[in-house]
Amino acid sequence: MTTRTPSPVPMRDDVHVHPGPALLSGLAGGPSLTAHRSQYGALPRLDLPALMDLARAAGLRGRGGAGFPFAIKLSTVAEGKRRPVVVVNLSEGEPASSKDSALAQARPHLILDGAVVAAVALGARDVYVVLPGDRPLAAQRMTKAMAERKDPVRLHRSIADSRFVAGQARAVIELLSGRPNLPATTWVPDAVSGLDGRPTLLSNAETWAHVGYLALRGEAAYRSNGTPDEPGTTLMTITAPGMVPQVREVAYGTRLRDVLPSSLHGAPALVGGFHGSWATWPTLASAKVSVGGFRSLGLALGAGIIHLPGRDACPLEFTSRVVDYLADQSAKRCGPCLNGLPALADAVRGLLVGSGRQARIEVLAGMVERRGACAHPDGTVRLVRSLFTMLPEEVAAHATGGCMHRPLRVAS
Amino acid sequence: MDGPALWYLNRSTGVVLLVLLTLSVVLGILAIGGRPARRVPRFAAQSLHRNIALLSVLALAVHVVTAVLDTFVDIRWWNALVPAGAAYEPLWLGLGTLSLDLILVIVATSLLRTRLRHRTWRIVHVGSYLAWVAALVHTLGIGTDLKEPTGWAVIPTACCVLAVAAATAYRLIRLTIDREPAGSHA
Amino acid sequence: MSTLRVDWPVCQARGLCHELLPEIIELDEWGYPLVNGEVTDELLADARAAVRACPRLALRLVG
Repeated sequence: MTTRTPSPVPMRDDVHVHPGPALLSGLAGGPSLTAHRSQYGALPRLDLPALMDLARAAGLRGRGGAGFPFAIKLSTVAEGKRRPVVVVNLSEGEPASSKDSALAQARPHLILDGAVVAAVALGARDVYVVLPGDRPLAAQRMTKAMAERKDPVRLHRSIADSRFVAGQARAVIELLSGRPNLPATTWVPDAVSGLDGRPTLLSNAETWAHVGYLALRGEAAYRSNGTPDEPGTTLMTITAPGMVPQVREVAYGTRLRDVLPSSLHGAPALVGGFHGSWATWPTLASAKVSVGGFRSLGLALGAGIIHLPGRDACPLEFTSRVVDYLADQSAKRCGPCLNGLPALADAVRGLLVGSGRQARIEVLAGMVERRGACAHPDGTVRLVRSLFTMLPEEVAAHATGGCMHRPLRVAS
Repeated sequence: MDGPALWYLNRSTGVVLLVLLTLSVVLGILAIGGRPARRVPRFAAQSLHRNIALLSVLALAVHVVTAVLDTFVDIRWWNALVPAGAAYEPLWLGLGTLSLDLILVIVATSLLRTRLRHRTWRIVHVGSYLAWVAALVHTLGIGTDLKEPTGWAVIPTACCVLAVAAATAYRLIRLTIDREPAGSHA
Repeated sequence: MSTLRVDWPVCQARGLCHELLPEIIELDEWGYPLVNGEVTDELLADARAAVRACPRLALRLVG
């Protein structure tokens, strides 16, 4: 393979998993099936209406970033005439995210229980688990967990490519179909017609873990955390340079600042991974971990990824490296993205040295948004736009040849 | 049927057919790679390719019918579809039949293009090179008008070969030059 | 009213769609189609021709 642009946040297999109130409780017992069953008991058999009630009562939303209501996806799949399939997306192609790997290492059977209980309720016979290509430890542990089980459905295992876009829903289905692991155009939603034309219930690994927890512990236990409007918990990944990624289970409504290490307070952070948006410290300090709460601050909670580059890091320089990386990581098939992202990377580099124009970036943004098989270019545009909306003083400093964090290096 | 009229018609449609097939193949070769057309809009070039191909099917029909109806040589109806076992010049005739079979499949898949997968259509369409070569060799082997006394078909045939060779060479050279990593793929 | 949708991984910027339906389809600086607006009844025949003409079958009429 030709040398690839490195990720500004390295992809890591090691992760510090903090104990939590629900998914991450009782970690001391270990990840084995025996330990799991002694903590949670046997997996009940739920029929479809019971599962849907649970999902609706918990207000369960997908944890892959889009936050789609799980109950709606479930009912769409159930409406199909053909026998559905269930897919667990554990590809975690986002370098700054470690929560799915953490679950694979610490609580693999919660994920598998969730997928199996849904498969049985839907009358599906096959569950496909898609593992990360560049987190071997997580893949190994999950494989081991799958081998321990005896389920009434078949568990299949695939490995995703090492590529940012390999985790996109349709790209995963392409992989499972024997085609290249790249996003493709969907004329019909995957929940209606996905793998082999079957209704496909594809969800993120953490989503499945929540389904498993709901099935094993019930609605009351689920609602014992969080707020009445947003019950339950969500996993968050906190990364910073030189620090082992931390994964924490956070109840909705918790103050964000209580989740972030105090040594990293006071500086802007990237919220939502590489397709997310910058946030200033005052915004972060005022935020509560909540889907609606984040939205009201102009942010997206997404997959709960927070990267704190620190006081001395220049957000523009970091963004420039991210956009370079994202341009290199595209599938390189859709013309607007293939051409637009490198052009966007050039424009952002221009911002660094003060020759960039916001107008040009807006033109490029308009040319790549919604003109591709997936949201890769849209996410990249969101990141770049957030520089202007959230950190305008940083952009202004560079426009006059300076930088708020360190003396500007001469062009390279 | 008597008299040489059918035979002359068969021979002349043969040469016309080779020319038409050559034009169609050359247009097809030049259309691959799709660089922006300078004078001719692409939909016009596409239309031209298609119409010439359909015209050649017409010429092919006349060429075959006259061959079968003419009693001077023993060519049966089934010889037009089965590429082996003919009484007259089985090898050269067989190649002509092979070419016809390929052309039929190619035209059929092209008429049904929107109902097929693009890959399927593409694979079949590549067979047009083979169809053209088979037609050429059929001409060289069986073609009366390439021989003495007039050999008038030599020049048109030679032009056809040159045209396809030139178009192919141009396309291959372009492909090598245009192998760039970034920029719009075309 | 129908919409034209592009199959982006398949489109190779040949431009025939723009030639046949310039009222709705323009080309960006890299040669890829920019679909502006819906297909009205008057433009339906041209839209269908554009769909048929695409050498890669990358254009679809939906709705």
